Amino acid sequence: MIHIPTLAPEILFHIGKLPVTNTMINVWLAIIIFLIVGIVIQVNLSFRPGKFQNFFEYILELLIGYFDQVTGDRKKTMRFMPIVGSVFFFILLSNWLGLLPGTGSIKFGHDMLLRPATSDLNLTVAMALVAVISSHLFGFISVGIFTHLNKFIQIGTFIKSFKKGPIGVFTGIVELGVGLIEIVSELAKVLSLSLRLFGNIFAGEVLISVISGLVSVFIPAPFMLLEVLVGLIQASVFTMLTLVYMTILTTEPHAEH
Amino acid sequence: MNFIDIALASETASEETVEPTGTVSTGPLADLGVNSTLFIAQLINFTLVAVILWFLILKPLTKKMAERQKMIDDSIDNAKKIQENLNKSEKEYQNRIDQAKVDANKIMEKTTLAATAATEEAKIIAKQEIEQLVLQARKSIKNDKDIMKAELKEETANFIILALEKIIGEKFDASKDKKFIEDILQKLK
Repeated sequence: MIHIPTLAPEILFHIGKLPVTNTMINVWLAIIIFLIVGIVIQVNLSFRPGKFQNFFEYILELLIGYFDQVTGDRKKTMRFMPIVGSVFFFILLSNWLGLLPGTGSIKFGHDMLLRPATSDLNLTVAMALVAVISSHLFGFISVGIFTHLNKFIQIGTFIKSFKKGPIGVFTGIVELGVGLIEIVSELAKVLSLSLRLFGNIFAGEVLISVISGLVSVFIPAPFMLLEVLVGLIQASVFTMLTLVYMTILTTEPHAEH
Repeated sequence: MNFIDIALASETASEETVEPTGTVSTGPLADLGVNSTLFIAQLINFTLVAVILWFLILKPLTKKMAERQKMIDDSIDNAKKIQENLNKSEKEYQNRIDQAKVDANKIMEKTTLAATAATEEAKIIAKQEIEQLVLQARKSIKNDKDIMKAELKEETANFIILALEKIIGEKFDASKDKKFIEDILQKLK
């Protein structure tokens, strides 16, 4: 019998009132891995890096290079690094953890013990919210509260437009409408970021479950390799989009003509 | 049979979601498995991951990389400064060498002039000395000649006297000589 993962993560047990889902187990697994890697790096951190440190520095250097292409400024990249770096490595590890043997096969009661963390919409929405809210916080800090808010609620521009005659008023109304659309687009950012990641990883999980259920050896291998690629691509897409949002919102708006 | 299971699974997933608190929630978000407790739990989990990733991995690595980059930049700057100083020193060295050559040429010219002047002076002095030596030699020769003449006269006189003594056959002494001279003088008178 093929066990297809449900859209909602399965609750395995409760700690007090807190439900523990199989996706949470994967998140904790990721936390433990990051903790171990972090401690090893902290202990062996040196000016002359060893192989372990060198490997992570190489990955980070590569990533910073790509981030620089989006932000166009190393300082900006380093400012966004705590969010985008964490998002990238966490999504990547979570996606790849889902491909480890045992995910989908080890049972806890009737449910799967392990399930890719990013196939839980609660987590992807949480990450998308953090990304979008932090992009707005960066925007407040970089361009100022009023300038940033004026991108969405263009009341100042609308009031000023009364001095410019009927065409000016019309432009003001249009800009006010555009501002409202911008607000909707901010909500769409959260939806698109979270649903894209969730959809891709969940679909991959379902695909592998179905393929593994039909033919248990050899045939799932190409799909799993494809999922490795999907995991990397989805991590990159989420990170790059977050970076783009942050870069756009920390850029000064064009001066009025 | 498998396909029936798949269909059943997809149907159960879209029906309703039981909240962890026990309440049943419906709607599109609940259909997708979103509920507030799990959302907050996952938010906390993600925050924890971000904190661990940033403070234990990303921050130390980026800091170390920045330090290394700074050290490399400083080293390159220092190397450039050293190269500039080296070029400057080489230029200065070359200038000094050129100046030294110019000075040496000047000194050589002066020395040549001084040597020429000294040679000329030495020639004049030597000429004067030679002239003086010639004069002295002439004087000396003249003196010698005079002495020789006087000696010759005396020798000649002695010789004549000896000859006369031989002729006369008598030895002239002082008294005889005196007497002889007196006799001659009387005869002359």
